[in-house]
Amino acid sequence: MQTTIDSQKKLLSKLQPLIALFVLCMVIGLLSDKFFTVSNFWNVLRQISVNICISTGMTLVVLMAGIDLSVGSVLALSGAVTAGLYKSGIEFPTQNLFVGFTLLGGILAGIVVGGLLGFFNGVAITRFKVPPFVATLAMLTVARGLTMLWTQGFPISGLGKDFAFLGTGWFLGVPVPVWISALVVVLAILLSNKTKIGRYIYAIGGNENAARLSGININRVKVIVYTLAGVLAAVGGLMVTSRLDSAQPNAGTGYELDSIAAVVIGGTSLSGGKGSIGGTVLGAIIIGVLNNGLVLLNVSPFWQQVVKGLVILIAVVIDKANTKNH
Amino acid sequence: MPHSEKKNNLTIKYLLGVGVVLFLGYHSVYFKKLDEVKNVANKKFDAAAYAQKFFTSTLTPQLANASGIQELIQLLTISKDQAFEKYAHATAVGSIKYFLVKGTGTITAINEDEVNLQVGNQSLTLATEFIYGNAIRDATGLFDITTFTNTTDINNVSAELNKIVKNKVIPPFRAKDKVGDNVVFTGVMELNSARLNLDNIEVIPVSIQ
Repeated sequence: MQTTIDSQKKLLSKLQPLIALFVLCMVIGLLSDKFFTVSNFWNVLRQISVNICISTGMTLVVLMAGIDLSVGSVLALSGAVTAGLYKSGIEFPTQNLFVGFTLLGGILAGIVVGGLLGFFNGVAITRFKVPPFVATLAMLTVARGLTMLWTQGFPISGLGKDFAFLGTGWFLGVPVPVWISALVVVLAILLSNKTKIGRYIYAIGGNENAARLSGININRVKVIVYTLAGVLAAVGGLMVTSRLDSAQPNAGTGYELDSIAAVVIGGTSLSGGKGSIGGTVLGAIIIGVLNNGLVLLNVSPFWQQVVKGLVILIAVVIDKANTKNH
Repeated sequence: MPHSEKKNNLTIKYLLGVGVVLFLGYHSVYFKKLDEVKNVANKKFDAAAYAQKFFTSTLTPQLANASGIQELIQLLTISKDQAFEKYAHATAVGSIKYFLVKGTGTITAINEDEVNLQVGNQSLTLATEFIYGNAIRDATGLFDITTFTNTTDINNVSAELNKIVKNKVIPPFRAKDKVGDNVVFTGVMELNSARLNLDNIEVIPVSIQ
């Protein structure tokens, strides 16, 4: 009897984000006749695509009991590097040489920059034993400063139709950013559930000492995961830059908070070892629907912040209660 | 797995990796002589020339078709939607629209950055210092955004049109304006259909006598 009740409780706890999303949709749908429309559906999906990419990387980090506060700034720098190189290339006046970047080149350069910044986060955390919060906070500032230096504080605009396709195009009736985020999610699910490194991530988050004693190279796994988080932030940066047809020096400000919110609401424990990519996707959808609903209902942007903050707080409280019960 | 087989697999992996990197590298960057690139860049879109041609050949002939500002304001008061539908233009999506207007008024005050006019019962401001935005470019509805491939060029046209007004239209007027003078003006104004405010109307003059 007790086992049945426990399994029901577990199931209910797993379904919490889904129930929350359903209730949220119903409430907003009742209050706004524009919510349940096809155009709004695609609009919400397009908007959350960036957050899904970033949050997927953040989930892997949080599953190891880490945190990455630098994703917003990494996103901005990657987008700016891609835009700058694709649009203007690099000039070497003394050699009378111009190195131009194709669309592929610009995209790869942005992703490499994101990966490198993530790699530095990982190295700072593992080799120099800097707490993840501090290391990534420092990277947040460094990457933002580098973005300002690279752009001179001005947007890099006019990137052309080919580049705009990434953020604004459609493929098989679905917006391209939705395809990209779906691909990212599928790959991340495969990584976390079907590979050795996925199991190591859960093991490190569950009990780092036990994982170390069982022979897992913890530092290597951590560096890989922070690098991946940087790469995924860069992918988000590409989508933002493409959608705006412009790399904004202040792009991605506050995205780290939306990302952490999606992870937490999706049921991933901040103390690590528990959670899933699927849950994070649900969390990102909840944040996206909440943002969309608050806008449709003409709620002041100031109140939007308050509501979002409260939702995160409630999610953490529920997570704590669940952890205690189990 | 025997040691030699393991080694072979590793070699194949490295070779594949190098192949992928070379393939991506080849399709990612290209090299040119810098002076050739600069020559091409110098032949790129000339926003100043485009703006001058637009001002002379498109905007100026349209001035005669501008709406009377008093009639327009009256219509805006009675039926905002109809007024915006009939007379407003903009290239961007949103509630900010631009109108091409004309009128005759009396100068009531001259300030450093603007001149105040009384046009019938309506008081308005002629901007003379801070000429910015897209009103001059968009107010006629004849600016064809589809012929442009990037937003920088589109924005540069606005900037150049604003320069023409600031450097060529306003100085002759400011040189001899006096309080009490009657002026005949044609210009552009920006209104927000979502937050319509007819108490502080500012017109950027395109022609003024």
